[in-house]
Amino acid sequence: MGDQKSRVNVHSVLTQVSSRPSASDETYPLTRLDHAMGHHTIHVIFYYEKSPFGSFDMDPIRVTLSEVLSSYPPVTGRLTRDDAGNWAVKCNDAGVRVLRARVGITLDEWLRSADGNEERDLTVWEDMPEVPNTWSPFRIQLNDFEGGGVAIGLSCTHMHGDLTSLILLFKAFSEAHHGQAITFPPFFKPPAPPDRKFSVNNSKSTSYLEAKLQKQTPSVKMSTATFKFSDSVVKQCLSEIHDKCPDASPFDLLAALFWIRVVHLKGPKHDDHTHSLSLCVDFRRLLQEPLPYGYFGNALNFSLLSLNEEEMDCSMLGRVAELVHCHVSGLKEEEFWATLHWLDLQKEEGGKYAPPFAMYGPEFTCVSMEHMIIGDQPVMYSMNFDSAKPVHVSCHVGNAEGEGLILVMPSAEAGLARTVMVTLPEEETAKLCEDQSILHLKPTMLLRSI
Amino acid sequence: MPQTLPDFSNSVKLKYVKLGYQYLVNHILYLLLVPIMVAILIEVLRLGPDEILNLWKSLHFDLVQILCSSFLIIFIATVYFMSKPRHVYLVDYACYKPPVTCRVPFATFMEHSRLILKNNPKSVEFQMRILERSGLGEETCLPPAIHYIPPTPTMEAARGEAELVIFSAMDSLLQKTGLKPKDIDILIVNCSLFSPTPSLSAMVINKYKLRSNIKSFNLSGMGCSAGLISIDLARDLLQVHPNSNAVVVSTEIITPNYYQGNERAMLLPNCLFRMGGAAILLSNRRRNRSRAKYRLVHVVRTHKGADDKAYRCVFEEEDKEGKVGISLSKDLMAIAGEALKSNITTIGPLVLPASEQLLFLMTLIGRKIFNPKWKPYIPDFKQAFEHFCIHAGGRAVIDELQKNLQLSAEHVEASRMTLHRFGNTSSSSLWYEMSYIEEKGRMKKGDRVWQIAFGSGFKCNSAVWKCNKTIKTTTDNPWSDCIDRYPVHIPEIVKL
Repeated sequence: MGDQKSRVNVHSVLTQVSSRPSASDETYPLTRLDHAMGHHTIHVIFYYEKSPFGSFDMDPIRVTLSEVLSSYPPVTGRLTRDDAGNWAVKCNDAGVRVLRARVGITLDEWLRSADGNEERDLTVWEDMPEVPNTWSPFRIQLNDFEGGGVAIGLSCTHMHGDLTSLILLFKAFSEAHHGQAITFPPFFKPPAPPDRKFSVNNSKSTSYLEAKLQKQTPSVKMSTATFKFSDSVVKQCLSEIHDKCPDASPFDLLAALFWIRVVHLKGPKHDDHTHSLSLCVDFRRLLQEPLPYGYFGNALNFSLLSLNEEEMDCSMLGRVAELVHCHVSGLKEEEFWATLHWLDLQKEEGGKYAPPFAMYGPEFTCVSMEHMIIGDQPVMYSMNFDSAKPVHVSCHVGNAEGEGLILVMPSAEAGLARTVMVTLPEEETAKLCEDQSILHLKPTMLLRSI
Repeated sequence: MPQTLPDFSNSVKLKYVKLGYQYLVNHILYLLLVPIMVAILIEVLRLGPDEILNLWKSLHFDLVQILCSSFLIIFIATVYFMSKPRHVYLVDYACYKPPVTCRVPFATFMEHSRLILKNNPKSVEFQMRILERSGLGEETCLPPAIHYIPPTPTMEAARGEAELVIFSAMDSLLQKTGLKPKDIDILIVNCSLFSPTPSLSAMVINKYKLRSNIKSFNLSGMGCSAGLISIDLARDLLQVHPNSNAVVVSTEIITPNYYQGNERAMLLPNCLFRMGGAAILLSNRRRNRSRAKYRLVHVVRTHKGADDKAYRCVFEEEDKEGKVGISLSKDLMAIAGEALKSNITTIGPLVLPASEQLLFLMTLIGRKIFNPKWKPYIPDFKQAFEHFCIHAGGRAVIDELQKNLQLSAEHVEASRMTLHRFGNTSSSSLWYEMSYIEEKGRMKKGDRVWQIAFGSGFKCNSAVWKCNKTIKTTTDNPWSDCIDRYPVHIPEIVKL
């Protein structure tokens, strides 16, 4: 099948500014971890049945957006290099780029018929130019569907923040629109390491990072599929593995399930006999001095879980889930600080940070968004416009090459329901969509190629 | 030390001499009247009551004579009162405050400039230099169509901007004054660069359902001084129509006139012109006399169009690529200075106190007859006016006028701060400046205000207002959320 013309038609580009001028000439430096994530971009898409943007040009909702942007000066600023040659954000109020697009079909039809690659057209995928002083790192794309639906796509470089930051920015916008207080106000002070020394050598994370630095992966055409698992199914599954893993969370279960199936799909490995899963966990609340959720920046950690081939072959779901659970709950803040310390050691002369490398990949990577469920409510589905929750939320990570990426996110249905977005090389995704163990859980499939 | 003391004491002496002279000349009539009255009193006292009674009896009063004299007096009084021009009062006015989404920070402006003019870095540099020295702040606003990359100046967008600005200002005016739309007898709308069919005044009549016998006028093409031309027209109409209300709407619609080429002389207006508008209610009704804010005293219009250079100095034309823009010539300031001198020569005798006029006359005679090298005397207008509203056409205009009229920083503060907060909003900038002075609590009863506007043609128009009642500060005006931050210091060059 040849390249079909995209059904998303971008018709205008404009700049949205903040409502109040920020203090002039403030420069917001980016942290070591921010720099390390520089290879990637993040994209979040919120689907709503009814667009809250009415006439657009003079709609009061744009005034609230300007007001919210005033609280996030680094979002409306521009990237610049500081004296040491590192990236910093000059808070000059230049604004965010807003693109408006029209899609020729209704929202429901889109969720049924579009595939993961086409979904990418709903946000902006732009490489940072050499000289980014007139380039807007944050971009919002408003896609209007026939019949009134809308997909609001936010994208930015991974240097500015992680998926959590972007989602909470949007949440602040929805709260401001209804005149409510902002639940997770923005916080810009990066975490400072405590006084203890950290040994770099025998840390799990740092040795893993060393390995990442060396590997090169050939780029393969990837495709994405979305699986929605309902609350009742997950509950039932958890009760099935209760004897092996009593404290399993839905993330442990689904990560284990998908890992096992993907390994099975990929077939036997030739060079070495271990199977590795890279786990990406948010560290905001795991630090001893917890960072507020509203911390705008990168606060995640990548760690490796390995199993050898024999264990994987005859393992049951429960056992693997147990291993994942132990690994995730065993993560301590020392890992986080050790990573930062290692990144510091990679600095070039003059204090410039090393160029970024792929942090997502090359192994099969699994991203946990369990921290986005606070109380019983999924934060990702709490941004209401006119009392309507989003119909669906998708997240994408740009330049995540390697064996594949899986994101386990909350669903619109509260409780234990989860939405899993899997990105694999094309043939593998197609096979995964027909995998019996997964289909046994009766997932709702969205946004996959038919 | 001994050297400076005589100079100082000399200047003090000079100051007192000047004050004495001014007091003498300005109150000459009273000063002459006092000795005459004293003389009469002495004469009366000398004569004694009997003599006066005899004097009275000797005047033979005939009934006819008495009647004729009284009719004459009544006739003269009637003619006098009938031929006195009707007083025109400014009841209230409202200025438009654009929404924050229309704000244009410097960084956004320069970024759009770089993205749109990417093949002309020299033009981008030029715009940056202009913006740095312009005196504008980070909160000036451009209409929504200009925020697009590239701008989308369609007719629909221009109408949208016109509706937004004019209707908001009108709504605000109607609310402030309690005026009912059916009570509007005269409507004048001035917008220089956007003139659709049907006109903007027809648009207002349609929206507010004004009366069918309304006298409506739409002035276009008259530049930044059109606001005062509209006020002059309203005043003339209010002389002819008794008991009437006139609404004047002054605005400039930026959307269709954003220059998209790269000719430098034409890029200048892009950097300075911003969104704004004002609606003013004038009336000659007696019942508005007590609640009106100002009374219109004089309007003086000067047109230098007969001179070719003045005519061409602000000229709308096509550039080499066929894109239309407004070209500003290099001798704009010199021509403005000439126009101002002309205007001052006419307005001076109307407003200056006798002392200044006498000095000016003496210096003029002296220069003509005795010695042409005498410095021309610049009358001190600070004695005639408490407040000055100079059209915020640009920093250079304000600087030039401050120098020519020898005004202090406080006198031009309203103009500079309006330029900083709202940019050059063309004909409505004078009203933002008035609003600034009122919000600072400086406008007291009896204060005289001088509004000066320059416009293409080349025109220099002035209006003189007298404050009718001390004006209290309010919250429903465009300065309400930022007046406490003003005045700000505006640096010579803002680092971009």
